[in-house]
Amino acid sequence: MQLRRDHVAGAVMLLAGALVLAASTDLPFGTLASPGAGMLPTVVIVLMSAFAALLLLNAGASPPIGAIDWTDAGHAVRVIGVTAAAVALYIPFGFIASMALLLFVLTFLVEKKPLIYALAFSGGATLSAYLVFGTLLNAPLPRGVWH
Amino acid sequence: MEATTLDSLALGFSVAFRPDVLFYAFLGCLVGTLVGVLPGIGPLAGISILLPVTFGLDATKAIVMLAGIYYGSQYGGSTTSILMRIPGEAASVMTCIDGYAMAKRGRAGAALTIAAVGSFVAGTMGVILLTVVAPPIAKFALAFGPPEYTALLVLGLLFLAYMSSTGLSRTLLMAALGLLLGCIGIDVMTGHFRYSFDIKELGDGIGIVPVAVGLFGLGEILATPSKMVSEKVVPPRLAELLPNRQEWRQSVLPIARGSVLGFLVGIVPGSAHIIASFLSYGVEKRVSKTPEEFGKGAVAGVAGPESANNAASTGAFVPMLALGLPTGPVTAVLMAALLIHGVPPGPMLVNEHPQVFWGFIASMYVGNLMLLALNLPLVGVFVTVLRIPYAYLYPLIIMFCIIGVYEVNHSIVDVWIMLIMGVLGYLLRKFDFDPAPLVLGLVIAPIFELSLRQSLIMSNGNWLIFVERPIAQALLIVCAVVLGLSALSLLGKRRDWRAKLAQAEAGDGSDRG
Repeated sequence: MQLRRDHVAGAVMLLAGALVLAASTDLPFGTLASPGAGMLPTVVIVLMSAFAALLLLNAGASPPIGAIDWTDAGHAVRVIGVTAAAVALYIPFGFIASMALLLFVLTFLVEKKPLIYALAFSGGATLSAYLVFGTLLNAPLPRGVWH
Repeated sequence: MEATTLDSLALGFSVAFRPDVLFYAFLGCLVGTLVGVLPGIGPLAGISILLPVTFGLDATKAIVMLAGIYYGSQYGGSTTSILMRIPGEAASVMTCIDGYAMAKRGRAGAALTIAAVGSFVAGTMGVILLTVVAPPIAKFALAFGPPEYTALLVLGLLFLAYMSSTGLSRTLLMAALGLLLGCIGIDVMTGHFRYSFDIKELGDGIGIVPVAVGLFGLGEILATPSKMVSEKVVPPRLAELLPNRQEWRQSVLPIARGSVLGFLVGIVPGSAHIIASFLSYGVEKRVSKTPEEFGKGAVAGVAGPESANNAASTGAFVPMLALGLPTGPVTAVLMAALLIHGVPPGPMLVNEHPQVFWGFIASMYVGNLMLLALNLPLVGVFVTVLRIPYAYLYPLIIMFCIIGVYEVNHSIVDVWIMLIMGVLGYLLRKFDFDPAPLVLGLVIAPIFELSLRQSLIMSNGNWLIFVERPIAQALLIVCAVVLGLSALSLLGKRRDWRAKLAQAEAGDGSDRG
């Protein structure tokens, strides 16, 4: 049997449903007259599993798993990695340092733009955003170790 | 229109013409046009990112600005479609076909004018219909209790699934996932913590902003490498902005049909503005005496869909304002914005916050005029914006996503949630799931749970309460009809308009590639 796109999607959703159900054991279901905190999650998990099973059953009509185009995955992984690092540094390093770093790494290392352009862009855009949000709109942006 | 409606509208205009409200309407329209013009950032991401900026404003200015972004993006989306054959906004997919063909024939200016005038007429017609229709529906909805709301929310989800181009089970699966995410946090009726895993920030549940920005903003960026974004622009000749007499004549009826069709589709839950533009294109092709011209620069192929998507975005405000029911992710975020400002949308809105309700409606009349004035003379500016290389644009959008999400609760956990949702959004696209029902499920989960549990408490656990009350019964009958229609289309396996819509949307993706 050829593995198809909806085989994977359905199986992942079924597994997710089972895991959430296992995490719901401490939630009281209650009674119909007095529903507890666990009632809606349980009903929703059952529905979700049913739809996932339906997907699995009809998976034969979906394209083979190998047909999914992953040519953009490299770009996605790089962007996720750089963004995750910037988010991790956002509070400790503050807005200006973490965002300037995010913009610089994305334009210079990921997009291979000239160093001068990347430096000017990351510095200018971060300071402009800080002026607009932090100063004009008075939004409390994190200042990190420079606070 | 009744005299009381006219009086109320006069009150609305007195609010809408205040200089500060006018300023925020203009700002919303301008940002909306830019959001529509720029590929990779849709109205949902735009509204979500700018939501925190409205926290310092009162409810009227906030909703006027955010709604301006929504309907402004429908105007702006046509610019990229016509000049670059890239839909700046999903609803502009159909405009790409004939709009770009007109541009290649040197009629870019005429296509842009027809799109802008069509959008203006449809938007204004939509607001007139909204003015007439919303108050009586709100009055009727005052009779709704928890069972009616439960039935209405179920109907909303089923309609969404029926209208979706990705199939019933996939849509309902996404909606269920959204409902499940909406269960995270403290249970308001018993005080139990659900799925918070000792993370105190999750006690309040998962917010719509990190989820929406992650799924639609970041998810889109992850799926769009800069080398796949075309920067070829067919520049319009500004001297040729005015369509000729024949082009005007060819656009009159499609604009009228698109306006009515779009408004009606807009009221129904689903990605109304996308569906409306698709249906309008189909209708125009069918009624045309020269269907062979479609795809080669037919004026009706621009006028109809552009009018329909604007009318639909206005129509979507009817259930939101009158019933408190979001029909799609954008109206869900707008509802969340009103709730944050302490103004619950729904049947009580007209009576309890008339200034917000009528001020908002009146601002849309003004906003449509602003957009007409903004879009044509400034088309050159928007073309310049389109020339900003995507390699510089998307890092900026990521920065705005982080600022926007963080500023809602000043919580870094929210930013992590956005990042996780971005990855989820990317994977969902790969596996052909539409993330919109997930957002809708997340928003309606607390309302649905509360009304369901209140209904069961009212009836002492008797589920028959949903069929014993006439309005709830009627709504459930419509649910059964929708389910029946879905089953029929599954059994028939015929290639209906939803399959064609899915194909058109897939075509959008390939255009970028």
